[in-house]
Amino acid sequence: MSTVELASPARSYLEEGYGLRSWLTTHDHKRIAVLYGIGITFFFFLGGLAAALIRWELVTPAGDLVSAETYNKAFTFHGVVMVWFFLIPSIPATLGNFLLPLMIGARDVAFPRLNLFSWYLYVVGGIFTLGCLLLGGVDTGWTFYTPFSTMFSNSHVLMAVVGVFIVGFSSIFTGLNFIVTVHTMRAPGMTWMRLPLFVWSMYAVALVMILATPVLAMTLSLIGLERLFGVGIFDPALGGDPVLFQHFFWFYSHPAVYIMILPAMGVVSELITHGARRRIFGYRFMVYAIIGIAVVGFLVWGHHMFVAGQSMYASIVFSILSFIIAVPSAIKVFNWTATLYKGDISFDAPMLYALGFVGLFMLGGLTGLFLAATALDVNLTDTYFVVAHFHYIMVGGAVMAYLGGIHYWWPKITGRLYSEAWARFAAILMFFGFNLTFFPQYILGWEGMPRRYHEYLPQFQVWNVLSSAGATILGVAYVLPLVYLAWSLRYGARAGANPWDATGLEWQTSSPPPPHNFEQVPVVHEGPYAYRR
Amino acid sequence: MNARAARPQRTHRSGPRPPSLGSNLWTLAALLALLALSAGSALLKLGAFNEVANLGIAIVKALLVLTIFMRLKTDNALLRIVASAGFAWLAVLIALSLADALTRVSLLPPW
Amino acid sequence: MNARLHTVPEQFDDPVQQREAATLGMWAFLATEILFFGVLFAGYTLCRVRFPDAFAAASRHTDMLLGTIETAVLLTSSCAVALSVREVQLGGRRLATALLALTAALGISFLVMHGFEYYAEYEEGLIPAIHYTQHGVYAHGIEIFYCLYYFITGFHSLHVTIGVVLLLVMAWRTWHRAYDADYHTPLELTALYWHLVDIVWIFVYPLIYLVGRAG
Repeated sequence: MSTVELASPARSYLEEGYGLRSWLTTHDHKRIAVLYGIGITFFFFLGGLAAALIRWELVTPAGDLVSAETYNKAFTFHGVVMVWFFLIPSIPATLGNFLLPLMIGARDVAFPRLNLFSWYLYVVGGIFTLGCLLLGGVDTGWTFYTPFSTMFSNSHVLMAVVGVFIVGFSSIFTGLNFIVTVHTMRAPGMTWMRLPLFVWSMYAVALVMILATPVLAMTLSLIGLERLFGVGIFDPALGGDPVLFQHFFWFYSHPAVYIMILPAMGVVSELITHGARRRIFGYRFMVYAIIGIAVVGFLVWGHHMFVAGQSMYASIVFSILSFIIAVPSAIKVFNWTATLYKGDISFDAPMLYALGFVGLFMLGGLTGLFLAATALDVNLTDTYFVVAHFHYIMVGGAVMAYLGGIHYWWPKITGRLYSEAWARFAAILMFFGFNLTFFPQYILGWEGMPRRYHEYLPQFQVWNVLSSAGATILGVAYVLPLVYLAWSLRYGARAGANPWDATGLEWQTSSPPPPHNFEQVPVVHEGPYAYRR
Repeated sequence: MNARAARPQRTHRSGPRPPSLGSNLWTLAALLALLALSAGSALLKLGAFNEVANLGIAIVKALLVLTIFMRLKTDNALLRIVASAGFAWLAVLIALSLADALTRVSLLPPW
Repeated sequence: MNARLHTVPEQFDDPVQQREAATLGMWAFLATEILFFGVLFAGYTLCRVRFPDAFAAASRHTDMLLGTIETAVLLTSSCAVALSVREVQLGGRRLATALLALTAALGISFLVMHGFEYYAEYEEGLIPAIHYTQHGVYAHGIEIFYCLYYFITGFHSLHVTIGVVLLLVMAWRTWHRAYDADYHTPLELTALYWHLVDIVWIFVYPLIYLVGRAG
């Protein structure tokens, strides 16, 4: 793909300094990516503990393990942490930060100091959220719906809101950095239509981040002020409009779903082309689909409000737009499948994750169509059907892709090879555990079990027990990579520059890369995925 | 734009050339005149056209600042796209939430 | 001269790329600013649709003369900062510094005038939650108008304050020859920020001060 000669391996970015200080003051995008990686792993397991508490409680119909208040706080904490401290930064801030400059042949992102600053904002936001937990938590649900969050909740709403507000800025600055980097820092010959799809997805996600996040930040500030002073525009008792809050909240939070899934799609495009050793099928359409999803994703937020008192005419418009966004998503699934056709497929761990992603994403996406239909949605709103739907997208989709990406680029990031046998075992276990956890929730929702209740009717118990059993398997499958990846850091075999024999500029430099990525600025002569077929 | 290494270092002087003094001062004069027009028209009884005039004048003023003072007219085309994106997304937010607010009908319970 | 010694950060190839990145970054940031303020304007629009008469009544409580003067002040300051960038590009230092100082002074005078407005509204009992004494059918609508008014103008004044600080720093550095015809990106970016603050006010003016004046 490029004409870089591998010189004798220089000092890698990991050897640039060993002290804590050298890490906390670094401007290197690769080190910042690692810092983010540590942060989101911590929050992932913390949010996972909250999920475990929820599933344990739901093993029996009676609310006997924890009180209703604790249960409310557990699912709120799970939602807040998983959405803003794991899913949103997961792929962009770790893999994106690490790979974006490498993939376009740049020495660093455009604003390295801003990059470090955004990590610190992430940490400060995280401290507020943890502080909120220690003080007693918050019980509004991650959506902070008014007027409950402003007038009635006695929990620590303000502190949670401040935490999310701060972490929002972290994501704005990351997005800003990515946009400028892609526009101005590409290596010679790296034209737009030669960008790897992962870079395209990072670009699209950055657009969503900078255009949606300000709306969230401002809306949360309005909640804060309304709660502090008892005046505002959302409280119906004062003539305000709670549906207005939902408009603003979902103007961010629906595109936020695409902040989670677009990077996952980018990762999967890389994994599948490598795993099938073929060029991506329909590169241009993949690019258009990415941009299409990012843009149309802004026009569908009202489908969260079909039963919230939104005008039915607006609901019809939002419903149609929500169906439209299925088109680019389907194009992507078709193109991944077509890429596999006649491919030389190897079932290594990253590929297993990628294939798992395609299946789970499809199931999550198709059930999304159920929810986009206004009439059906009236029955399914706030049932476990919705819970299962978005977990198929966010966990089955985003987390699978994230872990697949971590495995695929692990040799590049750390310079070590992980245990392939364990990795395959964990990937397969995860797929089964995931389906056992969440498929029963579709059935529960279809039968009418509402979400966010800490007790339920005895007839739902069978499916709930299955779901909790699946969650246990899933939990084990998530801990496994933590163990064998950590093990590989010390005992894994050293990786060469290109252990996968893959294309892409990131594989043209040594593993782990030197501080400024390339010994010599690469020159690009052809498009991405230049595999033989 | 990104011909790194392939091209020799480019000159220091960059960005759009400085605009003429006249264009800046005329823009200010136009802005102040529009302000006076805006204030004056608001005092006349024009019905719905009061709002049209108010917002129309504000948009013209904003465009003047964007194109002349902020030099979008002469600078990189990409910057025009970025600036329009901000306003376009805001328009989406306002338009679609208005679509709800303007078409709400109170549905009576069927019993 | 300092500016001649300006070194390009290592991630960039040359000053042209650096400037492109810096201006693009600033504009992307301004796009987020548009949406920061935009939410408040969207909230204003939707609330006004629900309380058209109360909003007109509330707007008549604002000080139109002071509002108009404030608008003129901000427009003039915007021109002044644009001229100072031009002056630096042409190599002038004294005049550029003076224009930056003038811009900052106009910004401060804007804040002072706004302070007087807030005080008058306090006397009139128009500040929700702190001192609110309106009664009658429109009381709720007026309260919502004034909530939005304080959110929008408060957030805007915060921006003006940040802008004034940045302008003073720029004036100091321009005076000390940090910028010249070749390198003046920070000054350019500060000017862009200040213009955006101006644009926001251009929309605040008709929406806050001019509603229902003819009625």
